[in-house]
Formats: sequence, C-alpha cells, structure tokens
Amino acid sequence: MEDTPRLNFMWHLVWDFRFELLRGLLTAVNVAISALILSLIIGLGLALMKMSRFQVLRVFSSGYINIFRGIPALVSVVWVYFGWSLLFGYNFTVYQAGVIALTLLYSSFFAEIFRTALEAVHKGQREAGLALGMSRLRVFRSIVMPQALKIAVPNIGSMYIGMIKDTSTFTVIGLSELVFVMQRINAEYFQPFVLFTAAAALYVGAAFLVDFIFRAIEGAFSYPRQGAIKRFLTRKKRAQVQRLVEANS
Amino acid sequence: MANRASGGQALISLQGIRKSFGSSEVLHGVDLEVFAGSHTVIFGPSGSGKSTVLRTMNLLEEPTEGSVIFEGIEYGPGVSGTKPKRGKALDLRRQVGMVFQQFNLFPHLSAIDNIALAVHSVTGKSKDEARERAAVELKKVGLIKWAMNHPAQLSGGQQQRVAIARALSLDPKLMLFDEPTSALDPELVGEVLAVMRQLAETGMTMVVVTHEMGFAKEVGDQCIFMEDGYIVASGGADFFDTCTNERARQFIGSVL
Repeated sequence: MEDTPRLNFMWHLVWDFRFELLRGLLTAVNVAISALILSLIIGLGLALMKMSRFQVLRVFSSGYINIFRGIPALVSVVWVYFGWSLLFGYNFTVYQAGVIALTLLYSSFFAEIFRTALEAVHKGQREAGLALGMSRLRVFRSIVMPQALKIAVPNIGSMYIGMIKDTSTFTVIGLSELVFVMQRINAEYFQPFVLFTAAAALYVGAAFLVDFIFRAIEGAFSYPRQGAIKRFLTRKKRAQVQRLVEANS
Repeated sequence: MANRASGGQALISLQGIRKSFGSSEVLHGVDLEVFAGSHTVIFGPSGSGKSTVLRTMNLLEEPTEGSVIFEGIEYGPGVSGTKPKRGKALDLRRQVGMVFQQFNLFPHLSAIDNIALAVHSVTGKSKDEARERAAVELKKVGLIKWAMNHPAQLSGGQQQRVAIARALSLDPKLMLFDEPTSALDPELVGEVLAVMRQLAETGMTMVVVTHEMGFAKEVGDQCIFMEDGYIVASGGADFFDTCTNERARQFIGSVL
C-alpha cells in the first residue's frame, strides 16, 4: 500500500487564517446579539399578550409562538432572504435577513420563557403591591418584573448560545459567518477535518464566554446582592441608610 | 372605643356582599360596619369566608354583588343593578393597609427599600425622603438595625413586623390583618401580636382575621363569627363571655 496518501492534517491553516476565522465568529455573534435584543422585546410583548384578558391577543400570541417555534433557522432565513424579494420586491442585506430570521424564531421561545417566569412570581407579590395602592404598571415594573428576570436570565443565556449556533445555517445566503469563512478556506486547501474542528472549538469557546457573561448578569439580579460592583453602585444609598440607622437608634 | 353608640357614620361598611368563584358562592350577602377607632376581629373555621370578607374591604376580591362604602364613597358593583357613581379601587387601597398571612415582602428589596418603594411610588416622595420615612416606621417596630437586610435574612416574625411597618408608612385610615400570625413559629407569634397591640392602643381602626383567640378577646371590641359564608354571630367586647350562639360557643371552646 505504498501509494496510499498519508493523512496530512494542516493544522497551521487555523493559525494562518486566524483573523478570517475570528472575524467569521464575530459576525455570527453580532447577528445573534441584534436578534437577541429584538427578540427579547418582541418576546416580552408576546408573553404579555398571551397572559392578557383579551382573547384576540391570547389567540394571536399562541398562534405566533406555535408557528415560529417549529420553523428551522435554515428555512426561516431562506424564506426571509429570497421570499421577501420575490413577494414584495424588497431585498434585505444578508445581515438584515439573518437578524430577522433569528428574531422571528427566537421571539417565540423568549415569549414562553418570559411567560413561565412571570407566572412563577408568587401571586402574593402582586397582591401586596396592589394592596399598598400601587398602580398595575408600577407593580409590574418594580415588583413582578425584577423577580421574573432573575428566573428568566439563565434560560435567555442558553437560548443565546443556540442563536449563535443557528447562524451557521446562514451560510446558504452568503453571510460571511464562521462556517462560510471556513468553507471558503476548505475549497482551497481541502482540509475539512481541521477546519470543522477549529470551527467547533470556536463555537464552544463562544459558548463558554456567553455562559460567563450571563452568570454575571444572573448575579446582578440575585438578592441579597453582593460583589464589588454592586457595593460601588449602591454606595450612596448605603451611606444614607447608615445615617438613618444611626439617627434612629 | 367604637362610637357606634354615638350614631356616627361607619368608616367602612359592607352591604349585601356576595362573592362567587365560578359556580360556587362563598359569601351569601354579608353586611358589616366598622367604626373609626374600633377593633374588629373575625374568626371561624377555615373555608368560612372570613379572609374573603377581609379581601373585599380593599377590593383585592371584587364582589360579585354588593357595595363597599368607605367614608361615604361607594365601591363595587352594588346591589341588583343600582349603579351609582363608583370610586376606583386604587383610591380605596391607598387609604387601607393590609398585612398578609405569608408577609409578602418583596424578596428583591431590603427591609428599608420594601417600605421606601411603597412610599415613593404611592405618595410621589423622592426616594431619599421615602427612605427617611421608612426608617421612622422601622424604628417603631424595633427593626431599624435590620434596615439593610433582605427578607430572606429575617425571621418570620421580623418579616411580618416589616410588613406592618410597610403598610403603616402610607398613613392608612384602616388596617386589615389576614391571619398575620398563622405562618409563624409559635415562639415568634408574641412579637407580632405585641406590635399589633401597640397599634391598637394608638386608636388605629383595625379588622383582624385571626385564630389567636386570646388576642381577639383582649383587643376586639366588635367580634364576628363566620361559617359557610354567613356572619353567624356577632357582638361587642364581651362576646366571648356572653355569646349564646351554640356553634360559636363550640368553636371558641375548641380553640381557646
């Protein structure tokens, strides 16, 4: 078997194209962040609609959630990018199409995350606020929402990791995210194993980073709050309370 | 205490209150008058509707039928179709404080901010001013040293005292207590009752749903016994000694 070619892993390609690969990852993270912000807002709206007194809103929200929860990212982005162009003659850029495609899907997941988190806040919390004479808006903003966010944050983090991964399908519309960049390099050197391994490592690295960030956010929403940043931010208030405690002791 | 004898107008009165949850009616037409400065105690077996009566007084439960009249203003749906001008629930609640069985402190806020949030958002005072008021109320219930503690760092008795301070910080004209000691360890009941006793001595109008018959006997000057959604028996401060209703006597006997 002299003429069997020796397996030759060109690992140096990863280093040679490090900037291109990182730029690809950055594009992926970027699209996912824009989509995250939009789908958090829309998702909260959908959650409130689903909990509304009005049946029309509840039906609309449930319908939206059930439809978009079931569509794969690949289908969604092709539909947005090519479909809108065909139907309405409007051409989104690949970046816009990616953001919209992800937002359509993930707002339905965030709607469910927010709804369950809001429902998990004890009913007595709302009653206590109302009994004090607070408006419904104030009760929601200052009492229910902060407690619901604490519950929702870890799930939002997991979803965000999913969003970054789903951008890998946007290679079909030519968004130069990580997989797209990798395939271009692969076309030249034919090193799929090396390049796919590198891509996997980069996605995992991004996931670790996201996890770290969302843990910090979760910490900020937990109580009693601790940590140097928190102490710094609340120093004025703590000083006032300290004065009041001494004055009243 | 009660100026019932002087014929004055009641601070709050319930007229023909009916309440249904789905198809089951839990209150079958309750009438009740509470006079300024009086201390009303409501007791009875569980499921008798006593908590629902209390929660109707600040419209946390919207009655199916009947009126809540507070200082001459009518709230609620009224009796069979009469629809005079109605007050808003928000306006009523701003004058009525409530203390819950489960305390219902806001877990994400410190003791002082639990009170300050209420003062700031209801009276419109600045957050700094609201905290100053909160400190005064915390001092009254003996918890100023715990101002920065979160509810999770307080005992049940301390939490309930903060909850009382929070309600009082809005200068209510009427205080409602919904089994305020039922969720407490027996040894913590005393400190909460002490605060309530102190409050009663200042002449605050109070309506208390409780199983603490000792407290009810000592503080109550209007005693209400409820069963199955009806007020079965009622009387003044001497109710516990003079009550002739067989069922009420039986209940008092089994609890005391």
